[in-house]
Amino acid sequence: MTTPEQSPSPTWPWIAMAVAGLVTFVAAMTVSADAVQGELSRIMYVHVPAAWLAYLAFGVTMFASAMYLWKKDLKWDRRALASAEIGVFFTGLLIGLGMIWGKPTWGVWWTWDARLTLTAIMFFVYLGYLALRRTTDDLRTRAKRSSIFGVLAIVQVPVVHFSVVWWRSLHQAPTLLRPEPPEMDTSMAVTLLIAVASFTVMYVAMMVKRIELARLEDAVVIADQTHSGAAAGDAVTAPNLSGRGM
Amino acid sequence: MRATFPGQVRSIVRRDFIRERRSGEVLWVTLPFGAIALLLVPLAVGPDGPTLQTIGLGMFWVIVMLFGVLIAIRQTNAETQPQRDVVSLTGIDPAAVYLGRALASFLLLLVFEVVLALVTVALYNIPLTGWGWMPLVMILVGAGLALLGTLAAGIVSTGRSSAALVPLLVAPLSVPLLISATQTFEALRLGRSILMWILMMIVVGLLVAIAGVLTARPLQESG
Repeated sequence: MTTPEQSPSPTWPWIAMAVAGLVTFVAAMTVSADAVQGELSRIMYVHVPAAWLAYLAFGVTMFASAMYLWKKDLKWDRRALASAEIGVFFTGLLIGLGMIWGKPTWGVWWTWDARLTLTAIMFFVYLGYLALRRTTDDLRTRAKRSSIFGVLAIVQVPVVHFSVVWWRSLHQAPTLLRPEPPEMDTSMAVTLLIAVASFTVMYVAMMVKRIELARLEDAVVIADQTHSGAAAGDAVTAPNLSGRGM
Repeated sequence: MRATFPGQVRSIVRRDFIRERRSGEVLWVTLPFGAIALLLVPLAVGPDGPTLQTIGLGMFWVIVMLFGVLIAIRQTNAETQPQRDVVSLTGIDPAAVYLGRALASFLLLLVFEVVLALVTVALYNIPLTGWGWMPLVMILVGAGLALLGTLAAGIVSTGRSSAALVPLLVAPLSVPLLISATQTFEALRLGRSILMWILMMIVVGLLVAIAGVLTARPLQESG
């Protein structure tokens, strides 16, 4: 019988990520370009799904953090970590793509718009979450502290999402996450939904691999702590109290 | 005889004030440092009067936020693990420790805010429209920042590089306070309602206070 540590690593997440990436690429490149923005509009098929994944990832971080505080099971802490890392990656991608789109459209790489600034702040909040996790090697202490922060940090997500409603913003209003149907051509809306679905599959696949890695990292920490008594290795041997062999 | 909860809070506040009286960290280090920062801004952006008038109030709140974090975390940074252990062994409720530290920080932050506000008005020649609301906004910002800073300091208290990490955790999370404080005076200038911004500061403060009280015991137990 194999233990969880010995079980072979699943390959389906790699396949799922590749397929999801390919589907997004094909969908984004085959749909007609926007009449006004031209080819530049294709950035939207990655930018919007990246924003969705950032929200989803940080929401899952909050849920998993709350579950850890309730259940005290380290698997929830690993899920929170995995989701936060993925969220930070996609928030970085979101900001980067937004800047690439902004330069030809607005004439500047960055503008002090509420949505942009608050998204950057959200990025730093979760970087802080990841930095907090590096302050201690004790798994339980780390899990407890980062879970508390993981629950608190979620306050940034609704602030970012509704910033375009609360303030006069250069950034457009929500495209998909809103009560009304999207105001765009059907083919573009369908492509966007395909991209969002593909990115969600990608998120699940990345979560599986990152959680697996986190479990192995925890096993290494536990092994290090278990064997820490032999700090000097073979250089020091136990005293021979019996007097034999002298 | 075991002290009541308010008595425990008072003891923690008194302890923090004794420590502040001995070290003078806030009054003789952080406060002058904040005033220097207010002096440096005109050197960086130029001595143009109207520009300084426009940015003055915003700079004041930014400096309150950034330097306020230093005030909120100062006791935690100064405290060693044996000191923390002694406090837990006395049987003081961890929530009282949290609220006591936050209250001490809040009172010191208020002093910091009042002195820096006077310096800002003097240096930047800011018109005093709507300044009748300043005490309330200072109280709400000071309370929110003290509660948030004390909670963050508790979260990272025994970890590596805790002194460097707390500002990274607190500064982005204090954005709702910064926005509310600046928007309150913007709304007053434009003759709009400030209720939403005042409520936002109250809600942020309450949420952080609840989180701090609920997590005080688990954080103390995790060492």
